[in-house]
Amino acid sequence: MILPITVGVLTAGAIYLMLQRGMVRIIFGLSLLAHAANLVILSAGVTAWRGEPFPDAAGAADAGDPLPQAFVLTAIVIALAVTVLMLAMAVIGHNDDTKRMPETGETHRR
Amino acid sequence: MMTAALLPFLAVLPIAASAATVLWRNPTWQRIWLLAIPVLTGLGALDLLLQHRETPVIAENVGAFVPGVAIPFVSDTLSALMILVTSFTVLMCLFFMTITGENRYRLVTPLVLMLLGGVNGAFLTGDLFNLFVFVEVMLLPSYALIAVTGTWRRLGVGRTFVIVNLLTSTILLIGVGLVYATAETVNLALLVGAGSDPRTMLSSGVVLLALSIKAAIVPLHTWLPRTYPATSASVMALFSALHTKVALYALYRVTSTLYEGQPPWIMILAVLVGLSLVVGSYSTFSERVMRRALSWQMVAGVGHILLGLVLFTQFSLGAGIFYMIHHIITMGALILGAGAIEQTYGSGRYERLSGIIRRDRLLTIGYALALMSLIGLPPSSGFFGKVGLVQASAQAGGAWQAVFVTLIFVGALGSLVAMQRLWVGVFWGPDMEDYLPDSPETGRGATVALTDDVRVTPRLLAPMAVLVITQLAMFVFAGPIMQVTTRAAQGLVDLQPYVQAVTG
Repeated sequence: MILPITVGVLTAGAIYLMLQRGMVRIIFGLSLLAHAANLVILSAGVTAWRGEPFPDAAGAADAGDPLPQAFVLTAIVIALAVTVLMLAMAVIGHNDDTKRMPETGETHRR
Repeated sequence: MMTAALLPFLAVLPIAASAATVLWRNPTWQRIWLLAIPVLTGLGALDLLLQHRETPVIAENVGAFVPGVAIPFVSDTLSALMILVTSFTVLMCLFFMTITGENRYRLVTPLVLMLLGGVNGAFLTGDLFNLFVFVEVMLLPSYALIAVTGTWRRLGVGRTFVIVNLLTSTILLIGVGLVYATAETVNLALLVGAGSDPRTMLSSGVVLLALSIKAAIVPLHTWLPRTYPATSASVMALFSALHTKVALYALYRVTSTLYEGQPPWIMILAVLVGLSLVVGSYSTFSERVMRRALSWQMVAGVGHILLGLVLFTQFSLGAGIFYMIHHIITMGALILGAGAIEQTYGSGRYERLSGIIRRDRLLTIGYALALMSLIGLPPSSGFFGKVGLVQASAQAGGAWQAVFVTLIFVGALGSLVAMQRLWVGVFWGPDMEDYLPDSPETGRGATVALTDDVRVTPRLLAPMAVLVITQLAMFVFAGPIMQVTTRAAQGLVDLQPYVQAVTG
């Protein structure tokens, strides 16, 4: 029961944070949502303790399902990369509001 | 020439070239890579397309694992056709980029090549999780591309794009996890018909929801007209040819595989598709800027393309795929044409532009042909695209028939009037007196009196001209092309060769 509750709490927090206006909070929200997604995928395999999924470590009946773990590993890497990129965007925008532009001398006549 | 073992290279080659261009930054070298890679992938796809006349499906299980665990790359007529058309359009966008000089911005070449690799991978993958991975490979460079060629404003718009797409990707990931939990595999060949199990039906619905946001179906479309026009014209043309089309391709593929026909929520999809058709067409009225108006027409195009999926007969799928190809090429021509005008006169606003019909005759002729294609008037590919969809709707019978045929005509009427506003605003009217030339310090500078030598150069016009001629060729050779799209549709209806090729 712990896993579904954790996913629920993470998703609720993620949605609250994503509805805020500041970019940094939105990034935190998306990170929480990525964690929730990873837990959902992990729960797709068997969540009880299983043996290592190597041929000589445990038999096929006792080994854990390696596929969700591989999925989660890939998803974590992607989430990390996107978080870094978004944090960079939050910094170079100078302020968190997307409507006001920083004073750069750039004109916006169309 | 192309064999099964070479399939992954269509995705690997652009990504490897992307890495190579990060390391060696010689401008000439970069430009060669930038233009050669789409040519190579396009030729590979053409070869695959010719092979698929005899062998409908070619599959490769990477890593020699048993099918179901291995990573499958599958090519059939639909995926080869999509790679061919997108590679060609991307080549024209990149050609335009080299003319405007945008390719000289830092890291643009590697980013574009990585984008192309992700798109080719998404078209070729036979596995839902790898679809997610390749969609991410496609999106990561896009997050940078939307801002790298531009201004502070583009950076702000880039945030919207990143947040929407990242949220959607997470929903897609959750959906793929749920599909694995309910169907115990994410391999499309093993998922055939899995949608008849109610649990898988629900979990794959999450996947379809994510793909619908990426495809920009009304009411999930609002991010598209806000973000796309704010980038540069060449990046917008790239995105319009690639992003929504990957999502549409995936919708076609996943729906036809998992449900082997119409999904259980076909009524909801039908209503949304009808809404997209009309809302996209009529929202164009509110816009007074060329590329903004075109972005709403893209939403309308999504409605047309998915109509083929909603009706789900072999003929309607073929018509939908034909419309998809037509839409990629026509939209590319219109956006690059608008880009050529913006590059020369410094604005895409109707009230700043006028009288282009007397200044740039060739551009005017090309743009008129492309607009006719968008609306569906002959002589253009759009004519046969719409004829195919009307015919498919008419064959459906019952209430569907009346509703969809009416919607197509009502939508076309809206597009016609909205595009006439663009035509009157930009091409008609008195001669322009001033324009906004580029200034190295401030981006767009002050207004300057327009002299006679400021015209859209033939070089700037060339990419658009090639695309317009291609869509005219699609009108002339509509018969042979329809045969190819029908074969592509057959691959979606008859899944036996697909399953056999993947599972061996």
